Amino acid sequence: MNNNHKVSVWEPPFIQPHRVGAINKFGNRGAKENVMREIFGVSIDDLVDQFGSPVFVTSEHQLRMNVRKIRRVFERRYNQVIHGWSYKTNYTGAICRILHQEGSWAEVVSAFEYEKARSLGVPGNRIIFNGPHKSKAILERAIAEGAYLQADHMDELKMIEQIASEQDRIVKIGIRINFDTGFTEPWSRFGFNLESGQANEAVKRISMSPHVRLTGLHSHIGTFIMEPRAYGEQVKTMCRFMRDLDDIDHINIDTLDIGGGFPSKNALQRVYLPPDQAVPDINEYADAVCDALVEETRYLEQSGRALPRLIIESGRAIVDDAQVLITSVVGTKRLPDGRRAAILDAGTNLLFTSYWYNHQVQMTREPGGVYEDTVLYGPLCMNIDVVRQSIQMPPLVYGDRLVVSPVGAYNNTQWLQFIEYRPNVVLVHEDTNVSVIRRAENLAVMNAQDEMPAHLSYRTMADEGSLPSGKTTREHLIRR
Amino acid sequence: MGMEPRIVQDWRRWNVAVTGVNAHVESPGPGCAVARCLRECADFKGTVIGLGYDVLDAGLYARDYCHGGYLVPYPSAGKEVLLERILQIHEIERLDAIIPCLDAEIQNFIAIKGELARLGIRMLLPNRMQFLLRAKDHLGAFCQSVDVLAPESRTITNPAFFETCEAEGWEYPFVVKGIFYDAGIAHTAAEARLIFNRLVNTWGYPVLVQKLIRGDEFNLSAIGDGKGGLHGAVMMRKRGLTEKGKAWAGVTVVDKDILEMASKLVKGLSWCGPLEVEVMKGHDGKIYLIEINPRFPAWIYLSHAAGRNLPVALIRTLAGETDLQLPEARSGTFFIRYAQEIIVELPQFESMMIDGGIPSVETLLNAS
Amino acid sequence: MIEKMDTLLQRICVDGRLAKLAVSETGFIFDPQTGQSFTLNQTGLLALDLLKRGNSLEMTAQYMSDEYEVTMDVASSSLEAFLYQLGRYL
Repeated sequence: MNNNHKVSVWEPPFIQPHRVGAINKFGNRGAKENVMREIFGVSIDDLVDQFGSPVFVTSEHQLRMNVRKIRRVFERRYNQVIHGWSYKTNYTGAICRILHQEGSWAEVVSAFEYEKARSLGVPGNRIIFNGPHKSKAILERAIAEGAYLQADHMDELKMIEQIASEQDRIVKIGIRINFDTGFTEPWSRFGFNLESGQANEAVKRISMSPHVRLTGLHSHIGTFIMEPRAYGEQVKTMCRFMRDLDDIDHINIDTLDIGGGFPSKNALQRVYLPPDQAVPDINEYADAVCDALVEETRYLEQSGRALPRLIIESGRAIVDDAQVLITSVVGTKRLPDGRRAAILDAGTNLLFTSYWYNHQVQMTREPGGVYEDTVLYGPLCMNIDVVRQSIQMPPLVYGDRLVVSPVGAYNNTQWLQFIEYRPNVVLVHEDTNVSVIRRAENLAVMNAQDEMPAHLSYRTMADEGSLPSGKTTREHLIRR
Repeated sequence: MGMEPRIVQDWRRWNVAVTGVNAHVESPGPGCAVARCLRECADFKGTVIGLGYDVLDAGLYARDYCHGGYLVPYPSAGKEVLLERILQIHEIERLDAIIPCLDAEIQNFIAIKGELARLGIRMLLPNRMQFLLRAKDHLGAFCQSVDVLAPESRTITNPAFFETCEAEGWEYPFVVKGIFYDAGIAHTAAEARLIFNRLVNTWGYPVLVQKLIRGDEFNLSAIGDGKGGLHGAVMMRKRGLTEKGKAWAGVTVVDKDILEMASKLVKGLSWCGPLEVEVMKGHDGKIYLIEINPRFPAWIYLSHAAGRNLPVALIRTLAGETDLQLPEARSGTFFIRYAQEIIVELPQFESMMIDGGIPSVETLLNAS
Repeated sequence: MIEKMDTLLQRICVDGRLAKLAVSETGFIFDPQTGQSFTLNQTGLLALDLLKRGNSLEMTAQYMSDEYEVTMDVASSSLEAFLYQLGRYL
């Protein structure tokens, strides 16, 4: 345990003062056998050599396993389950395609996502269209193509009604409702509130329309919910509302969409225990949901009526651990307070989720030297570009490759085109062949959307000869 | 690690590791008291190893209680690192048993229980389900299911609750609690926010709010046998409180209502391992359950003084004894907690700082 | 603001401040004057040892450059930074 033997790795001489409070050399250390030389069966060095650094690496196998598992655990407990793939979690085409092959519908929340799903060949009647902003144009298309709409607010209801009457058809829709489960902070900004009577108002409005028919209820209680009982309460509330609609208004609900929000094994900041302990198993969620569902729909079963189908819109729990990011150290330093720091070629521009997770970061070579508290910075000239505020790492050197995981959810969609080009996203096939599924950006991509007004269209200040007047740039501009 | 399991049947010669050996004046961990119970049992001839989380944890150096001491990773570092570190310590100390004493670490120990058992290291712990059922955010539902009164509580993650809570029937003052430790009584929204922020910064989300019950506080410690039985109950009434509401003085009592409630809880959970039941006898004469802690309390030395040494009962249980025949706990035994200093020489401090531990053999050699 | 290298060296090495430090071969340091303790990394331990023995900055840098197979530039610039760091604490 002594540091007595010579460490051959050069590290600048350094003296660390001991500060009172939480001195513990074993305190935050990561496990030793944590070196990763390959990922999803492919050598990390090969991946970087071929596709550059940073690079997102996605596993087709893991993705398929995850979606099969979630469907299996719910189907084991309830008969009719539809998985709606939440596009916003990761709408890289190949990833969506894999999930559609596995039977998932598309769950989209904007015109872009709707069009993307259609362009990937998803038929309208396998698209669940959510979200607070659906323009008239896209609603017209979605209604014509038979998509399943879940309305968020009254103005949208009116618009759906208007389009349905224009197209002279009867549109079956769901409405999103929100309420307090007692376990989570209610997301009251989406949908119609149950407690205040808004939801009933929406129901009334729909039942007065000859063109719209209410057949579904939707709710989505939040994100990264670590309390399975919240879903039990959610289902109970939705079922009781469904029963009220049946008893009082004779409305038959055939679809219950419970949204998503199931967590992945990522380490949420400000949760004390590691995800292994803090995040319940997906079976616990399925139990909570299906136990409540079976219990609350027993009255239907007893009278021989059909049970509603269950839609789950899980995104994160399916894609998060199916993707990692390989990044390289481009510089190291000591901060004035004594902490080690390393600068990486990927930061919050690519890992938007570092703002709320403490992602796992693993070495790809045998570590030498003493583990110390280290800050991992991204490449941006921006103070808040921090991948990890505090992580125990051995001394890092220029060129070290690190694996950040899990990163599959929300990064390929929320990443920023800011300062840097966005890198390649690759897919490891089930036979461990690798292909690019989203090409790295380059100058041509960045410039493609730019338009240049005619008076700015000369190339550089140095191109004076090309100016129409033949005068110097400055004079030219002043004259104009 | 190719170590042969060392199976010593006689608990009197065991090497027992005890965690939570911090002894902060305001709020000491139970570890030193557990170690002291073992050391003061006349039959116990084994060694006690303190496992600490900070070089200033007194039990790491307090040779009257622990023969040796080692630093272990924070519970937030996870089970793999904990296992790795325990194996290192085991290689030096050849442990026979571990008594975890802090709430936040229990889940990690539950997760590595099987691996440790294969090495001959025993622990008396609940399973994950039992552990979670009694967690602060599940306690209300559990109490309902076994017909035990508990003050209303709910989890919150958004401090905006403190501004709107009165409309929802949450009138000040009420208690704001961390998910593992620490609590405060909030009289105003501003005070509640301060406590909330302090708790989140240390223990993370969620935070709990619990309605305030006014009355007298009683605590009970015992061992659950995992089959619904409760053994060796020792009860204590707090007689003096610190500013943080911790006991600095208390006295053993015998109260059959509290015992009955604790028995109901242990039965309902099939609790396995040590536990502390905190109750409030309200001015309305009813008994309310405040908390179930999954470990011995910091006042456990009182059990030895009252004639029912619970830590010793625990390791006897681990050794396979089924009929412990514990004497009745004497009522009327007081404790008064006081602070005193232990002396640490520079080389010891250096060992802890640099190596993260002091082997028990050094203490044993010095003693002989 | 920044102390000159030679006055710094004078202050902490020659005036005996460095000599009073209790330095353990493990890298543990105790300053009897302030009660503060520190940990040194391997190169820091070597550098401190050489300086304590009265080696000049240049000789110390040379030794480190040989020992760790880094250029003299790297060794002497990081040694200077180390000395400034010592100056802040001592």
